[in-house]
Amino acid sequence: MASNKKGEKIKEKSKRRPASQWAVAWRRFKRNKAGVFGLIIVMAVFFVGIFGSFFAPYPARPNKDAIKPFYKGDVRKPPSWLDPEEPNNFKYLFGTTPIGTDVFSDVIHGTKYTIYVGLLVTAITMALSIVVGAIAGFYGRWVDNLLMRISEVFLVFPALLFILVFVRIFTLTVGDPFLTIPIINIQIPAGLTIVVVILGLFNWASNARMIRGEFLRIRELEFIEAERALGASNTRIIFRHILPNLLSSIIVVSSLTIAYAILLEAAVSFLGFGDVNTITWGQILQENFSEMRIVWWAEIFPGLAILLTVFGFNLLGDGLSDALNPRLRD
Amino acid sequence: MTENILNIEGLKTYFFTEAGIVKAVDDISFNLKKNESLGLVGESGSGKTVTALSVLRIVPKPGKIIDGKVEFNGDDLLEKTEKEMQKMRGSEIAIIFQDPSSSLNPVYNVETQLRDVILAHQTVPKAETRKKVIELLEVVGIPEAETRMREYPHQFSGGMKQRVAIARALACEPTLLFADEPTTNLDVTIQAQVLNLLNDLKKKFNMSLVMITHDMGIIAEMTTRIVVLYAGRVCEIAKTHDLFERPRHPYTEALLAAVPRLDMKKTLRIIPGNIPNLIEPPSGCRFHPRCKHAKNTCKEKIPVLEEIEPEHFVACHEWQNISLKGERKH
Amino acid sequence: MSSGRSITRSFSSLLGSAMFRYIVRRLLYMIPVFLGISIISFFVMYAAGDPLSIIRIGKPDITQETIESLKIYYGLDKPVPIQYLNWLTNLLQGNFGKSLRGGRPVNLLIGSWAWETVKLQLISILLAFAISIPIGINSAKKQYSKQDVAVTSISLFGVSMPTFWLGIILIIIFSYQLGLLPSAGSRGAPYLWWDNPILDQIAHLIMPVAVLVYVMLAQNIRLIRANMLEILRSDYVLAARASGLSERKVIYKYALRNAIGPVITYLGISLGMIIAGAPMTEYVFSWPGLGRRYVTAAMELDFPVVMGITMIITMMTLIANLMIDIAYVYIDPRIRLR
Repeated sequence: MASNKKGEKIKEKSKRRPASQWAVAWRRFKRNKAGVFGLIIVMAVFFVGIFGSFFAPYPARPNKDAIKPFYKGDVRKPPSWLDPEEPNNFKYLFGTTPIGTDVFSDVIHGTKYTIYVGLLVTAITMALSIVVGAIAGFYGRWVDNLLMRISEVFLVFPALLFILVFVRIFTLTVGDPFLTIPIINIQIPAGLTIVVVILGLFNWASNARMIRGEFLRIRELEFIEAERALGASNTRIIFRHILPNLLSSIIVVSSLTIAYAILLEAAVSFLGFGDVNTITWGQILQENFSEMRIVWWAEIFPGLAILLTVFGFNLLGDGLSDALNPRLRD
Repeated sequence: MTENILNIEGLKTYFFTEAGIVKAVDDISFNLKKNESLGLVGESGSGKTVTALSVLRIVPKPGKIIDGKVEFNGDDLLEKTEKEMQKMRGSEIAIIFQDPSSSLNPVYNVETQLRDVILAHQTVPKAETRKKVIELLEVVGIPEAETRMREYPHQFSGGMKQRVAIARALACEPTLLFADEPTTNLDVTIQAQVLNLLNDLKKKFNMSLVMITHDMGIIAEMTTRIVVLYAGRVCEIAKTHDLFERPRHPYTEALLAAVPRLDMKKTLRIIPGNIPNLIEPPSGCRFHPRCKHAKNTCKEKIPVLEEIEPEHFVACHEWQNISLKGERKH
Repeated sequence: MSSGRSITRSFSSLLGSAMFRYIVRRLLYMIPVFLGISIISFFVMYAAGDPLSIIRIGKPDITQETIESLKIYYGLDKPVPIQYLNWLTNLLQGNFGKSLRGGRPVNLLIGSWAWETVKLQLISILLAFAISIPIGINSAKKQYSKQDVAVTSISLFGVSMPTFWLGIILIIIFSYQLGLLPSAGSRGAPYLWWDNPILDQIAHLIMPVAVLVYVMLAQNIRLIRANMLEILRSDYVLAARASGLSERKVIYKYALRNAIGPVITYLGISLGMIIAGAPMTEYVFSWPGLGRRYVTAAMELDFPVVMGITMIITMMTLIANLMIDIAYVYIDPRIRLR
């Protein structure tokens, strides 16, 4: 935004404005206790996701069935601090499952998958919705009409139903539980990635409509009119002028989309459609659902982890919205 | 001597915002005689509208009337209970807002909106209210009132909408009417019609009128006396003729000089600087940072309103030392 | 509010004019949407997945001949477009085909379950609206008060909670710990005092309805509050106050009708999501509805059942949307029928 080759005057102006705008937003954000609380939760989740394997009491299990080498056969143990027979209060913080896995370790190892799901789904969703929203909002007329009709179908239609059956069809085709990305040499879970891609593809409609609305609003502003009068090209107007103005809305919506994506993945896994080779939080809930009468702790704690994480992203999104779109506030 | 219908003394209305306390109206005093047309003039943000809303006691949150007296026919309105006040609004004191397209409720037809006002103050049978509504619409010059009253605000043109808004204000024949920039949002040709209508109705209903505007042309035509406000304080009060001919406050002079005129020989003058930030207003005289006559005392002492000739009040330390140009001396 | 005369007037205009034509046009417009969704889901499903692959996983020693004969029996040997046309002709005669798992007619499987889902959803939606409107209004009226802060944070909490997990918590507390409410099914509670069929029904409804209402409540309250906040700041509310209308009338007549429009629109767009949430709630409470049946069918790749439920839910959503659009015309006169 800051570099503008046209002249010194414009350069100076555009250099200063964005900086102060973000600084003002940050100052406003810091005053918002709920938003800061959300940011702290989100940072904590990222910390656990990245460094969790160093302090989890037990190693991660590679899949649902591989348990034996990792656990000592303590099955259905309640959280140790509630268990009068267990002298060590910290042995099993969240209790153990009917197959003898430690819920606390599972939750910690599952954090990274939650982040993976949240970020990747949001990246796909936002990319799609920005492209669709921008095209619809900028070109208008029949393009807009067509894209909005399609998005309406996606909105009206109960997407979760589609998601479930597609996830089922495509996860059945998975051979290797892990894929290696060639150049950067990172392993990603194949089944979970299929879930993520499908979630991303089905989620864009409402965001695209929001971005289209903002696009229309900004397109009608006078400075765009002026820019057009100066003979700027469409690409220039979109990338130089409209998208930077959309940035704050995109940031806010992304944060909320992450929260929603995490909830969706948990639901898909809980219903039994998840990737059995990655123990996500939803997967833990699914595994122990049938025995929840006894091992209620294996349902409560992973659920609390989901709730807290999603709550954090929602608080952050709300805080950002207040800070970046002050026109919605007093 | 005619009696005062309205007597405002030391009125203070502050807005308690996140950024700080905005002193929108800070110690304003003036009065209004029966059947008089008074002009309330100033730039936007000078406290004109807030003064009117304070009299009606409908200052929106986070605003609050914190001090002063508002005597209406001798009773202090600020001492009244909310219930008593509710009875006064619309029936004794009414207000017309600036933008008729936002001050009329979009989802109710004109008849409903007028009827609700009538029924709020009088118990009359249904057939009679309908007759009254038709009558009112005819008075404000809406043709085919009987069919048009069933239409919704969006089906009326701007000028017609303002006529409806006037009809609503007059529904219960108030004795005091505030007109808050009633023609700012209208076409110039329609402006004159609406102003004439207001003038006629004022005579017909025997009302006292407070005309709020920043348009000196309208003020000259419509009023007999003027109160000039600047940044929440009164600068000058004088008969319209006197004020235009012999302004005593530098701000009044500047306001007059900023009016474009056909017979003007000089270029249009603008008032340097902006209206001050009302959270931390300038010390002493609030106009001093923009005043070319400002001395040291102006920065330190708040000027008091003094009567320099019969019925001509001014709040300026320097009024004796400076000579100001009125309208005629261009 | 309006006189008898104006009611008859609006009724006769409804039949004669714009509104009637609008409804007919909307119903016609549904046909391509309906066909479109059916084509997309049918083709993607049948082209991408082999419904018999599940059988191979379950019985590794099954012979190729058995598979082939199963294919012929279910008509899976034909090309997908022909299968679709067969499916569509059957559908037009009210026949959803037969389940791939056991060959029972789909109609029989989903008929009674559809009603259970509708019952659950309808009660929840109505209840959610009845509760959220006064709370949202109050919260907006006293913005930033303690009550408002409590309501907004609780509703943000509600948006953040996985639906099914709330159900799990309720079951653990009220069924397992306290033994008060039945944990599963829609009737036949093992408690003496619910011998009465109506009480029995209510007892089964309480928890699933509570979960659905809570989830919707959070969204609704946030939406009503946000709309109300904007409207309470509007000039027409100020003008209504300035005309001496009572606070009650200002809020419940002048402001509310403006605030309710966006909420109803939102309900329209989110209906898909609300109904799609049914699988989760129904699964947790073993509710014999379409959602739970769908989960099983999708798991087993039982395509005819999946298609049947998909089409029923699409139909329900489209009709509900039409009803909402019609209601909207009456709420906001600025909306013109197109």
